[in-house]
Amino acid sequence: MSERKYSYYIEDKAKTAVDRPRRFLEAFAAVLEHSSYRVALDAYTRMSAKCSRCASSCQLFEATADPRDIPCRRSEMLFRVYRRYFTPGGATRARLLGGFTLDEDYIDAMAEEYYRCTACRRCRKACPIGIDHGLVTHLARYLLSEAGVVPKALVVAVREQLQGVGNTSGIPVPALQDTCEFLQEEFRDIYNADVRFPIDVEGAEYVFFPAVSDYLLEPDTLMGNAAVMHFSQGSWTIGTANFDGINYGLFYSDRVMERICKKVAEEVKRLKGRKVLVGECGHATRSAWMLPAFLGADAPPVVNFLQYTCQAIQEGKLPLKGNAIEERVTYHDPCNIARAGRITEEPREILNAICQDFVEMTPNRTENYCCGGGGGTVSIDEIRAFRTKTMGKRKADQIRATGAKIVVAPCANCKKQLREVCEDNGLEDVQVVGLHDLVLKALDFGTEKKSEGRN
Amino acid sequence: MESWLEWARGPAFRFAFAFMILGLIRHVAITAWEIGRVMHRAGDRSFPAKAVFKATLNWLFPIGNLRSRLAYSLTSVAFHISIILTPILLAGHLALVQRGIGFRWPAIPNLLADVLTLVAVATSVALILQRALARDTRSLSRFGDYIIPALIALPFASGYLAMHGWINPFPFEVTLFVHVMSANLVMILVPITKLSHAALLPGTQVVSEAAWHWPIDSGSKVAVALGKENEPI
Repeated sequence: MSERKYSYYIEDKAKTAVDRPRRFLEAFAAVLEHSSYRVALDAYTRMSAKCSRCASSCQLFEATADPRDIPCRRSEMLFRVYRRYFTPGGATRARLLGGFTLDEDYIDAMAEEYYRCTACRRCRKACPIGIDHGLVTHLARYLLSEAGVVPKALVVAVREQLQGVGNTSGIPVPALQDTCEFLQEEFRDIYNADVRFPIDVEGAEYVFFPAVSDYLLEPDTLMGNAAVMHFSQGSWTIGTANFDGINYGLFYSDRVMERICKKVAEEVKRLKGRKVLVGECGHATRSAWMLPAFLGADAPPVVNFLQYTCQAIQEGKLPLKGNAIEERVTYHDPCNIARAGRITEEPREILNAICQDFVEMTPNRTENYCCGGGGGTVSIDEIRAFRTKTMGKRKADQIRATGAKIVVAPCANCKKQLREVCEDNGLEDVQVVGLHDLVLKALDFGTEKKSEGRN
Repeated sequence: MESWLEWARGPAFRFAFAFMILGLIRHVAITAWEIGRVMHRAGDRSFPAKAVFKATLNWLFPIGNLRSRLAYSLTSVAFHISIILTPILLAGHLALVQRGIGFRWPAIPNLLADVLTLVAVATSVALILQRALARDTRSLSRFGDYIIPALIALPFASGYLAMHGWINPFPFEVTLFVHVMSANLVMILVPITKLSHAALLPGTQVVSEAAWHWPIDSGSKVAVALGKENEPI
């Protein structure tokens, strides 16, 4: 095992990178020129009041009480670079008085700090000035990546997606087809129903992009998705040229995010589809919402599966057995869809339609706590203890307080993280599932369920 | 002393006041221009105006946000109310306004002004103490974060002493000179320090949203600028 430079592994070539401060600053200049971050940095660096109100909203600071984990202090690290190199006042002061210079050690410090934050953006709502610390983390990671600092777990997956097999899990097309056929057989065996996973159908309304790992890990979620499409007679397809909604660019590089977004749009175009249908995945949804940012008005509209299913229920298209789920169920809001208030009510409507005993975590919706694995950190296995014990403690307490034995999290990342949080915090009896796993159980196929075909 | 006082109340005040107002107008104009430019060239021009407006009002009148950090929040709100209202609604100031520009607006009773002035001084001191005593804020704070509330307290404290001669150990004119000059200094600091939030705060929620709205192809343009367009992942 190679030695770790940071809490997380980076690639070997990144360890020998030279001249990182210069590369960081060149990237900073280019990004300021071709993006919109400057307007925020100008305002933030002028006004940052350092009241530390954000600290009381941060689950990381709550757990560590370490000043390094105050959101404002972390953001100040990047503000300092911005003031010194990109504002006339800072440049003049540096010329006259000397002082701060961006060096290798400072890059190392930023590399550590900006991956302790999951960019959940909970602190944004606590800042009287209105600073979006999540935006600062997002930008800082982008610039760090241009200087060669990216967690290995993220960059390896992206390489597979953009230069390898074509998706982050490295699933070849025949394996995808096998999986879909297998799930169709399951529907026949268990429910005696002819539910299809349509592949490469041209002209479908929706082209489906789940977190690709669902094909390996979450058959119930996928079957729930397919069953909803079956009953609502939705026109959808899975594209073989790109069936991965995952976009780690959101976590470390807008350049990468743009390429992955464009790949999604290309597949929709190839199949003459009309809309992007994102599966149960928070960051895939948020990055798909960024499609128009990169593509302009030509970008296809984006629908999250929770929105689709909620609407199908409202239109009475789904034969649901009310109260089908008897155990107590609670719901975890994924930050990427809930923080800005975009998807908070749809999942609750669905759950209320199928659960006997649905209870809320406190706080919830836009005020939710992050699962602890946001911002791509869930993929970094070597920081599991940090994720589940330090970051995830608050979430574990929240889950415990509800008394629920089923936690619904409509997000591939949240699910992986919450399972580990439950394991590491003495909640072994809690089951973490996707929302469509429960929808699948609640749908009335009109046939007696024959047997559990698989466990 | 008389001539010094005249200078402080005359040219020095006019300069400081104009510096503050023009500086703030400049900030607002540049920010508004930049937001317009960003949204004009953005790939995604949709804007969640309602949510942003709500968040803005929520922080301009932060009644609903007092719960977390109650002591600090109450201190901060009392501080802001007293330092904003007192100078612009004090009868003595309004007499000067009347003399200067020929009209005035209604004043608050002097007793209320006295109370608000004491609140301003007390909360300034409290803000400094809270900053120094809480470990998290102390670790964030630099010299300027302590000195600014202290400087803000100065015109209020000296103004109170000037109005209440029987408790004032200093000569009246010296007190008034300190009062006017410290106020001038604060006004000059407004546009060039974090006090610029006086004018920029209503726009920060808009700014925070706009910063996510990048121009079309922003990523590939950065790649080209850095000569990385053909670089493998």
